[in-house]
Amino acid sequence: MFSRKLIALVGAAAVMAAACSSGSTPSPSAAASGGGGEDCVVGVSWNNFQQPRWAATDEPGIKDTVEAAGGKYISADANLVNEQQLTDVDSLISQGAKVLILLAQDQNAILPAVQKAKDAGIPVIAYDRLIEDTSVLYLTFDNVAVGKAQAAALFEKVPTGNYVLIKGDPGDPNASTFLPQGWDDAGLKDKVASGDITILNGPDGTFTDAWKTEKAQSNMEAIIDKANADGNKIDAILAENDSTALGVVAALTAKNYGFPPLSGQDGDPANLNNVALGKQYVDVWKNSLELGKAAGQAALQLCAGTAIADLSITVDPSVQPPTGAAPTDFTTPGSNVVKAFILQPTPVTADTLNLPIDAGWYATKDDICKGVDPATGPAACK
Amino acid sequence: MTNVADAAPASGQVQPPARTSIRGLIAQTEIDLRLFGMLLALGVILLTFNILSGGKFFQPTNMVTLAVQASGVAVIATGMVLVIVSRNIDLSVGSLVGVIAMTYALLMTDWMPNVLGMGPDFPFRWLIALGLGIGLGALVGGLQGFIIAYIGVPSFIVTLGGLLSIRGVVWYLSSGAARSGLDPDFQLIGGGAQGSIGGTLTWILALVGCLAIVLLLINGRRQRRRFDFPVRPVWAEVLLGVLGCAAVVAVAAFANANLWPEGLAARIAARDNWGPTPEGGWQIPTGFPYPMVLLLGVTLVMAWLATRRRFGRYVYAYGGNPDAAELAGINTRWTILKTFVLMGILCAIAAAIASARLNGATLDVGQSYELYVIAAAVVGGTSFAGGIGSIPGAVLGAFVMQSLAYGLSFMGVNSPGQNVVAGIVLIIAVGFDTLNRRRGS
Repeated sequence: MFSRKLIALVGAAAVMAAACSSGSTPSPSAAASGGGGEDCVVGVSWNNFQQPRWAATDEPGIKDTVEAAGGKYISADANLVNEQQLTDVDSLISQGAKVLILLAQDQNAILPAVQKAKDAGIPVIAYDRLIEDTSVLYLTFDNVAVGKAQAAALFEKVPTGNYVLIKGDPGDPNASTFLPQGWDDAGLKDKVASGDITILNGPDGTFTDAWKTEKAQSNMEAIIDKANADGNKIDAILAENDSTALGVVAALTAKNYGFPPLSGQDGDPANLNNVALGKQYVDVWKNSLELGKAAGQAALQLCAGTAIADLSITVDPSVQPPTGAAPTDFTTPGSNVVKAFILQPTPVTADTLNLPIDAGWYATKDDICKGVDPATGPAACK
Repeated sequence: MTNVADAAPASGQVQPPARTSIRGLIAQTEIDLRLFGMLLALGVILLTFNILSGGKFFQPTNMVTLAVQASGVAVIATGMVLVIVSRNIDLSVGSLVGVIAMTYALLMTDWMPNVLGMGPDFPFRWLIALGLGIGLGALVGGLQGFIIAYIGVPSFIVTLGGLLSIRGVVWYLSSGAARSGLDPDFQLIGGGAQGSIGGTLTWILALVGCLAIVLLLINGRRQRRRFDFPVRPVWAEVLLGVLGCAAVVAVAAFANANLWPEGLAARIAARDNWGPTPEGGWQIPTGFPYPMVLLLGVTLVMAWLATRRRFGRYVYAYGGNPDAAELAGINTRWTILKTFVLMGILCAIAAAIASARLNGATLDVGQSYELYVIAAAVVGGTSFAGGIGSIPGAVLGAFVMQSLAYGLSFMGVNSPGQNVVAGIVLIIAVGFDTLNRRRGS
């Protein structure tokens, strides 16, 4: 049953991708690179293909773009093991890959493989996760912008009041640095300084070990109890991602607290369903279909001999980087400067639930609209 | 001094010391000093947090939250006592909770309506799901128990394998995504205002508990007389009865001081036509939440199994001296297998509480439960040397650990800080216990 569903999903995604590429914009870059596409073998090394996202959205994005131009797609799954990934890259190279797309299990452990590719003159695309090497093209979503979009959406809805901050795993730089930086970019720090916003759970908020839903739930229950004991009302909750937001909703339900505006990130089916049900206000969604397409385009152009700096990548306007179609310089935490193409995330609220549905996201309309009354629910569920 | 009570709270074998010191008086009441000490420790922890928070901590609603949060781990800890007493360990409980929680979620959102033809209106879906989950737990526990008891693979290895592989199965079941939307009836297992038994039933339960304490005391006295065992002095019997009753009634009153949130009460009142809102709003006591009642039931049944049934005696006998137990003709393998079946069933109950609380299941439900459960059992006085451990102790241990986690969370201490404290308390608790035992022997 599971596989049938997966096939349906992949099928839907493929249809969407085909519809997109045959639609209004036959994208000049794809046409241009089509010439060199015939003998282009694109090798993809996944670190963990078990996560549903990769099979459902990223792979079809890459595969369809490459195959539409006549190229060949080959791949391997490292199953979360660093050594396996090194072996995988070797075998992709020996199978004749002209370009490598690597989703690195570890940004440093992958370096020997990158060196091997460099020696063989094969360009490398660091997909979704950074590789600390100046020769790679880094393709990802802007994580700081995710935080900014979360906070901006909530500030528009609740400009002043009591906020609760629910963060992810304290060891993850996304949780401790990038997303909070985005919140501050949106004005959290200034609003706290000016007194418009009070943070109920300490200046830094509450971290959630391993982004665990159960942990987020028990933390949130304690926060609600504390707020009640102090006579404070919670007006909005900034949660960094969807697994923690799910725990927050469970705590709010258990306490019959009602549902103050709540943020999330990932576009998980259960959370988009909560958006439709009015239990979560905004879910910042990274449309990884487009990330896959961008990787496919970049791979085709690199095959044709285009230099990384001269690439021209066309993606849906909703995720297009503000810097344009060419990669830009990005300074890594390891102080390397790499060329990067950084897509913008899309905030999804009840009013814009049609975006993921129309894009062929792996959360289907049935998932998203489960239990929603079509008469009173959001427009996307009618 | 407490060794007899350790091995099992078996009554009727204690020679009352004739001393008249305070220690002698306490000994005459036959109160389990270890349990009493843990209750005291729990009280000190709660009191400390109450002082630190300026009196905001020790409120009915907070304590009910704490109890609900502790109930899942406490339920499994009652079984872990028997497993550790019989010189085994079960590391697979967290994964088993995860897979059963996911099974509940899939049953109610997918398999029942789409495969089994039981639509949302099918009667007693929650009970059927619960039954299937308990069956699955017993099956997996039994399989592990069989490999441990009959094939002889060490339990550490078998259940470590279970920890890894069962967690993997969760992924295959769910294909990696969270599942939500359980039956409203099933959600009640998770507690909350509507998931509680209400004020009246709470009082009735308290009175029944009170009556049971008195009857047990009277019956115990009669039995001891019959077999010419020494009996407690009358003052000690009366004291125990009064204290026990008072404690039960106080807990019930405290739980009943937790009221329905006003918004919810107003909503339900409007829906069910309760008439005009009384002055000061609706004051509906929630009483004991269902997970607490479940925990109470599980604790009583497990304590009964451990101390009053042959099975329990065998477990303690095997833990105390496996060879002697074997030579005495006890079917030790069958006994060990049964402890793991019991574990599986308890995991299914804990999974029901966890998934009902979440209104669904995620990939990580139950993760690292094995650590909390083992910690609770050990803090509750269970010894890894085997043969020693008590079920109420483990439940108290779970409450001690959770009260720290909840209290620190309440005070705004982040999870790394909580882990530091939990780890230190674990070592201190066992350290004290070890010292006590050494002095006692």
